[in-house]
Amino acid sequence: MAARRSEAWPLAVTVTALVGLPTLVGGSRYLMTLAISMLVVAGYAVAFNLVFGRTGQLFLCLGALAGVAAYGSVLLADVAGVPLPAAIAVGVACSGGIGGLFSWVAVRRRLGVIFLGIVTLAFSLVFTNLLVGGRALTGGETGLLVDATAGSWLRDRVPAYYVLLAVLVGYLLLDRWLERSWLGWAFRALKDDPVAAELAGVDVVRAKVVAGALGSAMLGLMGALFAVHDGFLSPTGFDFGEIDVRVLVVLAVGGVGSSLGPVVGAVVVTAVDELLRPLGQLRLTVYGALLIVVFLRFRQGLVPAARGLGRRFGARRARATP
Amino acid sequence: MAVLFDGVAFGLQLSLLAVGLTMIYGLGGVLNLAHGQFAAATAIIGARLIEVGFPVALSVISAVAISAGLAMAVDATLMRPVYRLHGEDRVLSSLLVTLGLAFAIDGLLIRFAPFTLLNLAVPGPAFVLLGVPMRRGVVVAALVAAVVLGVLVLVLRVSRWGRAVRSIIQDEEGATLCGIDPSRMRRSVFALSGALAGLVAVTQGLTAPIGATSGRDLTVLALIVTVVGGLGRVSGALVAGVLLGVVHAVASHTIGAVLTFVLLLLVAIAVILLRPSGIVRSAV
Repeated sequence: MAARRSEAWPLAVTVTALVGLPTLVGGSRYLMTLAISMLVVAGYAVAFNLVFGRTGQLFLCLGALAGVAAYGSVLLADVAGVPLPAAIAVGVACSGGIGGLFSWVAVRRRLGVIFLGIVTLAFSLVFTNLLVGGRALTGGETGLLVDATAGSWLRDRVPAYYVLLAVLVGYLLLDRWLERSWLGWAFRALKDDPVAAELAGVDVVRAKVVAGALGSAMLGLMGALFAVHDGFLSPTGFDFGEIDVRVLVVLAVGGVGSSLGPVVGAVVVTAVDELLRPLGQLRLTVYGALLIVVFLRFRQGLVPAARGLGRRFGARRARATP
Repeated sequence: MAVLFDGVAFGLQLSLLAVGLTMIYGLGGVLNLAHGQFAAATAIIGARLIEVGFPVALSVISAVAISAGLAMAVDATLMRPVYRLHGEDRVLSSLLVTLGLAFAIDGLLIRFAPFTLLNLAVPGPAFVLLGVPMRRGVVVAALVAAVVLGVLVLVLRVSRWGRAVRSIIQDEEGATLCGIDPSRMRRSVFALSGALAGLVAVTQGLTAPIGATSGRDLTVLALIVTVVGGLGRVSGALVAGVLLGVVHAVASHTIGAVLTFVLLLLVAIAVILLRPSGIVRSAV
C-alpha cells in the first residue's frame, strides 16, 4: 500500500506539468506536434503496461490494435457516413474485441508466452499487409486522408493536446482504480504464481481477458483519436517496427508494471528520439541496444532502477552523517 | 510443374533457415528473433568482401564463418543471463533480448549498407529438368540446401555430437547426468544456426539479389516454418519448409505476393491454435 501511495504525488506533479505544457510551448507547431505524439505513445504504453506489465501477456501487435480502431473508425465515418463518435466507438470496440479474443484463446488453449507472441506478431504483419494490399479502400502505402474532421477544432494542436491529455489521465486513473479493485489483487496473484492464483480461486481467464480487452480498447482509442486529429492514416503509422518497438522501449525506460513509468518513459523517449534524429536509421540500433541492456540488467526498468540507486545512495549518506 | 519445382527449391531454403532456429529452441528453450538478421548481415559482409576484390567463393565462405562467429559471440554474451532464467521467464527474456538484437543489427545494416546487395547470379542458359526450364541459380541453390540438410540429418543421426544434441532436446537433465555439457552444446548449436542462416543468405543470393532490409522478412519466414513444423523439431522444420515452399510458390502464382504472405501467417496462426506441437508426429 505504501508503495502505491508514494506514486500519487509524482503522478499529480507530472499531470500538472503536462497540463501547463501548452502555455509554455503552445506557440510552436513543432513542439506541440512533438508533445502530442508523446501523449499518444504514453497512452499506448499505459495500455500495454496493463496487458504485459500486469498480466504478463506479450502482445506484439500494439500498432495493429491501434490501427484497427483508427482505420475502422475513419473508414466508417468517411465511407459509410457513420457519425464520428459512433464510428470511433465501433472501432475501439473492434480493437478491444480482438485483444480480448487473443487473451481468451491464449488462456483457453494454454498458449505460452512464446505462442501468444508469435500469434500476435503474425496478426500485426497480416494487418499491415492487408492495409497495403487493400489499396482501393485503405489507399495502400500512400495512406488515407481523413475527411470527417476536416476543418474541425480537433485538427488544432492545442485543443487536441488537451483531449489526448484528458484521455491519458483517464487511463492513469483507470489503471490506479483497477489496481485497487479485485482485478488488481488477481493481477498480483497471477504475477506471483499463476497456478497458485488459480487454486486460490482467482478467475484467471476473466482477469486476463479483461486486461487484454481493456488494454486493446485503450490502444484503439488513442490510435483513433490521433488519426482523426492528424487527418492522415498510413500503414507505417501502425507498423510493428514503428509502434511496438517504441512502446517496448518506453516501457523498458519507464519500468514494467509501475503506474507512472509509462508516462515518464514516453517523455524521456520522445525527447531522446528528437535528439537522436540526426542518426537516422542508427536510432534503431540505439533502441535495440537499449532493449537488450534494460531487459538483461534492470528487469524492472530504468526509472525504478535509478530510484532504487538513489535510495541506496541516500541511505548511505544518512548513515555517514550521524 | 514449373511452379512445383520453384516451390521445392524455395522450400529447401526455408527448411535450411528454420532448422537452425528450431534447434536453438529445442536445445536452449530460447527463441532467436534475430535469426534472419544473421542472414542479412552475412549477405552484406559477403557483398562487401566481393566489392573489395576477394574471390567470390572465399568471400562467401568467410561471410558464413563470420555469421557463425557472431552467433557464437551472442550466445556467449547476451544469452548468458537469459540461460540463468527458467521456463517462461527464459523464453520471454530471450524474445525481448533477441528482438532488441534484431533491431540493432537492422539499424546498422540499413544505415551503413542501404544499397549493398549480395548478387551471386549464375550465368548460363537455363537447365531443363523433366522438360521444365529452371534458372541455374535456383537449381544450384536448391542443390546446396539439399546437400547441407542431408549432411545435417546424417550428422544428427550418427555422430556423437548429433546424439548429444538430440539427447538434450529430449531430456536435458538426463543428458547432463550422462556427462553431456548442455552449455557447450548450446554454444556449438548457436554457431551452427548462425552458419545455416548465413548459408541461406548465400542460396538466396544465387536466386535473387539480397540486401540489408531482408532480415526482418527472413526472421518471420523462419518463425512461420518453425512453428508449423513444431518448435524444437528438426524433422518438422524440414517437412514444413518444403511444404510451405510449395504453398508459397503456388499461392504467389495465383493470388499475388501480399496475399501469399498473409496466407502463410494465417497458416502459422492456425497451426499454433490447432496443433501447437506442429504438423509432424515425432519426438525430435
